[in-house]
Order: sequence, then structure tokens, then C-alpha cells
Amino acid sequence: MAQTMAEKLLSRHNIAGKEVRAGDFLEASIDGAMCHYHAGESMVDMAVEAGFKDGLPKVWDRDRIYVLLDHHQPTLTQKLADENALIRREVERLGIRCFHDSEPGIAHQMMLDYGLVRPGELVVGNDSHTLCYGSVNAGATGITRADMFYVLLYGELWFQVPHSVKVVLSGRQPNYPISKDIILALAGRHGDDFAQGMSIEYSGGLVSQLSLDSRSCLSTHGVELGAKFAMFEADQATHAFVKSRTSTPYEPLVPDTGAGYEKEIRLDVDGMPFMLAKPHQFGNVAPVEEAKGVRVQQAQIGSCANGRYEDIEIAARMLEKHKVAKGVRFIVSPASQQVYLQCLKAGLIEKLVDGGAQVITPGCGVCQPRVGFLSDGEVCITATTRNFKGRKGSQKAEIYLAGPLTVTAAAVAGEIADPREVFPGL
Amino acid sequence: MKVSGRVWKFGDSIETDAINPYYRYPTMEELKLHTMEVYRSEFPREVKPGDVMVAGRNFGCGSSRPGLVLREVGIAAIIAESVSRLFLRNSISRAIPIFVAPGVTGIVDDGETLEVDYPQGIVRNTKSGKSVELRRYPPGIEQIFECGGLPQFAYERYQREAALGGRAR
Repeated sequence: MAQTMAEKLLSRHNIAGKEVRAGDFLEASIDGAMCHYHAGESMVDMAVEAGFKDGLPKVWDRDRIYVLLDHHQPTLTQKLADENALIRREVERLGIRCFHDSEPGIAHQMMLDYGLVRPGELVVGNDSHTLCYGSVNAGATGITRADMFYVLLYGELWFQVPHSVKVVLSGRQPNYPISKDIILALAGRHGDDFAQGMSIEYSGGLVSQLSLDSRSCLSTHGVELGAKFAMFEADQATHAFVKSRTSTPYEPLVPDTGAGYEKEIRLDVDGMPFMLAKPHQFGNVAPVEEAKGVRVQQAQIGSCANGRYEDIEIAARMLEKHKVAKGVRFIVSPASQQVYLQCLKAGLIEKLVDGGAQVITPGCGVCQPRVGFLSDGEVCITATTRNFKGRKGSQKAEIYLAGPLTVTAAAVAGEIADPREVFPGL
Repeated sequence: MKVSGRVWKFGDSIETDAINPYYRYPTMEELKLHTMEVYRSEFPREVKPGDVMVAGRNFGCGSSRPGLVLREVGIAAIIAESVSRLFLRNSISRAIPIFVAPGVTGIVDDGETLEVDYPQGIVRNTKSGKSVELRRYPPGIEQIFECGGLPQFAYERYQREAALGGRAR
């Protein structure tokens, strides 16, 4: 039978060795596990509660568990410092070899930077945005901490094979990133759960023009549409990216002709307006035009969705000729040290600082109530992942989500504005 | 299982920052005072053990965070039109009673009593008698619930394999 990428992925990883189809349940073997190990609720406590009185007795594979301390680096409180110390002891006790400890950055970007995920692999992570690695053709998805507990022990996990939705993107890539506008347009038109539990396969004429950075934004945000996987096929750009980072062999996933899709959605980006999500939900989408003139006190670029080179490059390019408006805190957080270094070498950081932006340490903080809190009545426009009420502190603050160009335009204008009006030379 | 309780009714796309705002309130005691306040400020004050939650589509969207705090404040079951995949996984893996019952928001109002009859596969408004079907879980998932969650399920497997003298695959 003709298979989708998800069916092929889970058939290959089915421990029972049989071909599976959408809707089937199976026990799957895991290729890689991205683990924060802790995050609020200790694996040690979970182990003790389950009956393992000395904690996890072992891990299934010391080389395929990747522990990254991304949410809490550098630590901002004593409690987090103590938690990180516990994680270090556990990593040593269990002999986990891949441990990114004293390096700030977002786990998802570091997994890509260091070639820890390859096309065709089934990779899980205890973070909702693990779908990110679908950009390099991996079957990657977020699982829960208790699921991770099981994976750490056995390297196996139950799955239901998802139905698939084909998202066909057409049109031309302009000279600035538009992946955020695309994902918002999809959520606005089809709802913030149109892919609930499903596997998104991105395809169409636009895909080959999309950078790996743009694809990573679209895969990461799959979860904001409810998806289990959000995958691209591997093309020349994918192979070049992956092979420059790892020599581990891999087998890409290619959907079969005639594979069965639950639905097919088309989006042509030519003529698509700049999009944003108004407070307080991802699906509360409108063209930027509708929020024009809303004053902003904070603007942000960062996170696993938009903290990559191209997101920062567009901001730096615009700040070459423009300054951040008085009274606006424009915060830029590169996704990882590698991205930061790339930006430094290209001279982007100097342009940002010269233009009035603040550049902060790589990490998840910019997308959470960790760094850059908002006060009552303040408005923030941000190229990060979520705009829930209270996401940046006060429940009486308002958060708009938009792409990095729209965010930069707002930072310069002091209010939400159409980037083409703020930057006429675009 | 069979449960019935007073209904707290919520809308669509209820998100996990609101259910479990642990960034702002890192301890369970604090969480209990703030869960769901973003939607209904009286909820943490007035929720009683044995109450149930009814919600629209996409319940528990957002970050992967378990709803343990809802169990701590006494919520006996969550029944929604649809549940976000990660919240569903979280609830299964921590054995928190959660049910997908399309149409449920149409048969019950806030404050009424809803009965969940899992063996019969229905949820019913005890006053009006109106009912809708709930989605049964496959046997493998039922087994995780019965064990008390996935870590407990892992422990049982570990003990079983140790008793056989075998090693994990």
C-alpha cells in the first residue's frame, strides 16, 4: 500500500515488525530522545513514586539520549541552580554521554546545530516544539515527562499512527522571511487545531525556496496547529545541512505516490499580507493592517520559532537605516550559541546594538515569563511561539505574535505598522 | 469507571499556561491557588473535590504540561469535545481521567451534574437525561490507566523482566 511519510516512519520503527497504517496503535523504537531531564517535576521523584526507590535504574542507550539545559541557562534563581546541579549528578550517575551543560541555547536549535537528528529518524523530546526537526525530514514530536521516563528506560514508546494533511505552499519567497506569516495564515484560515494529532507534510513549489531556518519555523509551529509531526522531504539543502554536521548514515522518508491524505490545504504566498495573532491565542489571526497603530512598549525576536540567523538578519538589515523608537524595548535572543556566533561574524550584532536593540543570551527565556516581563497595560509584539495571557508576566498585558520583519517595523515605528510603510525600500 | 460531579464549563483551546502556570507559581501549593484563574478567577477558590470539567475543542493546547494540579484541587474527570494531543498523552501517562466526548458542550451547562459511564461509553446530564457517546480507549491505553500511569507501567515491566531474569530488549 502507498504510504505517507508518517506511515513509513512508524512502519520502519514498529517493534512488531509489521506495516502500520493511519489509526493503528503500535510500540515504536526510538532513535533519539531530547530530554530536559527535569523541568519542574523531577525524574527522580517520578521514579520513586513509581517504585524505583533509588531513581531510574539505568538508561536504554547512553549515546542516544541528549540532555540540554536550555530552559534554565544561565540560572536566574537559586532553585534553578540547585535543579541543574541535580541534573548534572543524574547525567553522571546514568552515564549519559551527550550533555550540553554550560552552553546556553534552545535545545531544538542545538539538536540541529550539532547534527544530533537526521532525516528518517524517530526522535522524541519532552518539549512541545520538538516537531522542529521535521525541517530536516525527521519524524520528531513532543512527548510528556512520564513518556520520557519510559523512553529513558526502554527506548520504546506507544504511538497511534497519525492521519496526514498535505500543506501545499506555492508562490515566491521574497527577500525576507515569511514563515511566521505562513503559519499564522494557516491557523487563521483553518483553525488552531486543524491538524490535531495529525502529521503535516509540507510540499509545493515554495518549499525548495525556503531556507532551513524557515522550514524549522514551520515545523516547530506544527504544534500550534495541533500536529504530531510536521515534516519536509529531504532535498539538496537538507543533505548539505545534515552532512556538514554528522557522518551518521540515514535513510530519508519519501511519501509514496498515491498515499492517502485526510485533507489537502493550499496556500499561495504571493500577495499574502503580513499576518499577526492578536492577544491571547495563536488562532486569533488577522492581517497586520487590522492592528495598525497599536502602541508597543516591547518588541522581541527569538525562540525555537524565530531565533535563527535569517530572523536576526532581517532585523539587523532594517536597523542599518532606522533606529528603534524611544520607549520601545527591542529584545533579540539568538536561538543558540552557534547562531549567535554566525550573527557576530556577519556583523549583525553590531548593527542591532547600534540601532537600539538589546541582544540577550540565547535560550528560551524570551518566550516565557523569565526575561523581559510586561507590566499591566503594556503591549508586546513578538516573533516567538505563544501569546497566551500572562505569558510574559502580567495578565493585564497584551501580546501580539508576528514575523521578525513586522516586529522590527513595530520597534522602529513605536506602533504596529505595515513593514512596507516603515521600510519603503523593502 | 463511573464518575459524576458538578460541572465547570470552559470554552475552546484552553491552554496549559493557564492550567499549570508553573513558571510563575513553581510549587503545587501556589499552583492550586492560581490554576485556571486566567479564564475564571473564582475557579481556584470555589472548585470542590469531585467536580468535573467540561470544555470545548482543543483542550490543553500549548506547552507539554501535565494537569496534575487539576487532580490536586479535586477535579474527578475532564470531558472535552477534543483534547490537544500532548495534554491527552500527559493525562494518559499520569492516569488522570480524561474523556473525549464530541457534543458534550451541547448537553450540559455550568453547575449542572454530569455523569461519566465509561463501561457504557456515554456521558449523561443527570437532570435532563441527555447523553452523548465518549471515545473508548484501546486496551493498551486502558492498561496504562489501570497501572496508575506510565512510570508505574514501566516499573511493573521492569519487575516482570527482572523476575524472568531477562534483560530489557
